Amino acid sequence: MFDLFFQYEFLRNAFLAGIIIGFLAPVLGVFIVVRRMALVTDALSHITLTGIAFHLLLSQSAVFLQAINPLYMGMAFSVGGSILMEKLRHVYKHYQEIAVPIIMSSGIGLGVVFISLADGFNNDLFNYLFGSVLAVTPTDLTAITAVLVVVVILLVLFYKELLFLAFDEEQAKVSGIPNKWLNFLFIVMTALVIASSMRIVGILLVSALVTLPVAAAIQLSKSFKQMFIYSIIIGEISVISGLVSAFYLNVAPGGMIVLIALGILLLVIGGRKAGGMGVRKLRGRKTLEWRKA
Amino acid sequence: MLELSFIERGIVAALLVGAIAPMVGVFLAVRRSTIISESLSHVTLTGISAGVLMGQVWTVTDISPMYTGFLFALLGSLLIEKLRQIYDRFQELAAPIILSAGVGLSAVIMSASGSGYTEWYEYLFGSIVSVRMEDLWFIIATAGLVILILALFFKEFVSVSFDQEFAKVSGIPLKKVNFLFSLLIALVISMSMKVVGILLVGALIALPVAAALNVAKSFKKLLLLSVLFGEAAVLAGVYFSYQFNIATGGMIVVLSAVLLLAVLAGKRLKSMRKRERFA
Repeated sequence: MFDLFFQYEFLRNAFLAGIIIGFLAPVLGVFIVVRRMALVTDALSHITLTGIAFHLLLSQSAVFLQAINPLYMGMAFSVGGSILMEKLRHVYKHYQEIAVPIIMSSGIGLGVVFISLADGFNNDLFNYLFGSVLAVTPTDLTAITAVLVVVVILLVLFYKELLFLAFDEEQAKVSGIPNKWLNFLFIVMTALVIASSMRIVGILLVSALVTLPVAAAIQLSKSFKQMFIYSIIIGEISVISGLVSAFYLNVAPGGMIVLIALGILLLVIGGRKAGGMGVRKLRGRKTLEWRKA
Repeated sequence: MLELSFIERGIVAALLVGAIAPMVGVFLAVRRSTIISESLSHVTLTGISAGVLMGQVWTVTDISPMYTGFLFALLGSLLIEKLRQIYDRFQELAAPIILSAGVGLSAVIMSASGSGYTEWYEYLFGSIVSVRMEDLWFIIATAGLVILILALFFKEFVSVSFDQEFAKVSGIPLKKVNFLFSLLIALVISMSMKVVGILLVGALIALPVAAALNVAKSFKKLLLLSVLFGEAAVLAGVYFSYQFNIATGGMIVVLSAVLLLAVLAGKRLKSMRKRERFA
C-alpha cells in the first residue's frame, strides 16, 4: 500500500510534507486552542488565499515573479492580516470577536476578485482550496522543511514564555514577559504553519488540522504535555491515513484528512460519554440533593 | 415579475439578499456570535454537495440542492449548540469544529462526484447571472419568511440578544427563541448563496453591520444603517462586476470592506478634529 509512495518522487514529497504538517499544525494548535484563538487560524488561512491569488495575478504581468513560490506571498499576506486583526480588535473594543469575521470575509472576497481578474477559476484553484496529493513540488518541500526548523527552534527557545502567556496573559504581562513581542512571534509562527499546510490540506481545511486533533486530545489528556503528545499522534494518524486513502480513492486529500480527524474526535467524545455515564449519574444525584437542601 | 431578463432577476435577488443578510447580521453581532454564520455557511456547502451528488446517483429525485443546503444548515446550528455543551470550558471550539467538518465532507463529496469544477465555483463564489426564475421564487419566499419571523418575534429577539439571563428571567422561552433564530440564519444563508456564494455569505452578514456599529447610536438605527450599507454594497458590487467582468460575490464583499474602511477612517478624522478643538 505504501510502496507507491516511495516509488514516485511527487508522492514521496507529499508524504514527507504531510508528516511535517501533521506534527506542526497540532503542536501550534495546542497553544492556539488554549488561548481561545481557534477561529483566528480560519481567518489567517483565508487571508493566505488572498496572497496566493494576488501573486498569481501579479505574475501574469511581472514575469520575474513566476519563479517565486506563491507560498511566500501567502505567508506575507497572512502575517499582514494578523497585524490588521490586532488593530481591529482595538477599534471594536466592545465587539472584539467581530474582528475575525471581518478579516476572514474581506480576505476571501478580495481573493475572489484577484482570482477572477487573473482568470484563475480552474483546477489549480480547486487544489489550493481543498489540497492535492500531486501539488507538492520539491521547492514546496524545502519551504515546508524550513518552516519546520524555524518553528521548532522558536518553540524550544520560548516554550516557557509561550506557555505562560497562553494560560494567563495578565499575570505573564505583570511578571515582565514581553507579551506584545511574543504575541507577534506566535502569530508569525501560526501564519507560517498555515501557509505551509496549505498545499496538502487546502486553505479551507487548514484550520481543521489545527483544531480537530487538539479538540480530541483535550478530552483525553490530563496534563499539558499529554495534550501535546495526543494531539501529535492524532494529527499524524489523520494526515498519513488521509493522504494514502485520498490517493487511492482519488478524492481531495484535505477532505479525507479532516474526515479522519473528525472521526477520531467523534470516537473520543463517544468513548468519554460511554465512560462518563456512571460519573454523571453520581453527580446528578449530588446536585439534586443539594437542591433539596 | 413574470418576464424578467437574467440581469433583472439577478438584481432583484441581490437587492433582497442585500437587505435580509445585514438585518440578521445585526442580531448576530449584538449576540457576539457573528462567526456562527461563517460555520453554518460552510455546512450549507456540505448540504449542497450532498444534494448535487444525490441528484447524480438517483436521477429520479429532482430536488434543488438549495433545499438540502438549508436542511444541513439547520442541522449544523443544532449541532453547534450541542457541542457547546460538550466543550463547556472551550465553547468557542464548537464553531471551528462544525466549520471544518462541513468543508471536509464537502471536499470529499465534490471530488467524488463527477461534475466539473465550474459548477462548484458557482456555489462557492456565487454567480448572479445564473439566478433562474425558480431560484428567485425561493429567494422571495425565504425573504418573506425571514421578515415575518423577525416582525413577529422582534421584541423577543432583541431582549435575548442583549441579555440572555434577563430574557430568561422575564419568562421568554429561551430555547424556542434560539431555535427560531437558528432557523433564521439557515434561511438567510441558503437564500444568499446564489448571489454571493457560500464562502462570502458571512461577509454580507458581518461587514455592513461592522460598519454600522461605528456610526449608529441606537439599535433601530443600527438595523437601518446596516441594511442601507448592505444595499449600497450589493448594488455597486453588481454594477462593477458587470462592468469589469469580475466575480459578483467577490466584488460585493470588497465594496463592503471598502465601506467599512471609509467609515473607520471618517470616524478617526472626526475624533482627531474633536481633539484639536479641545486642545
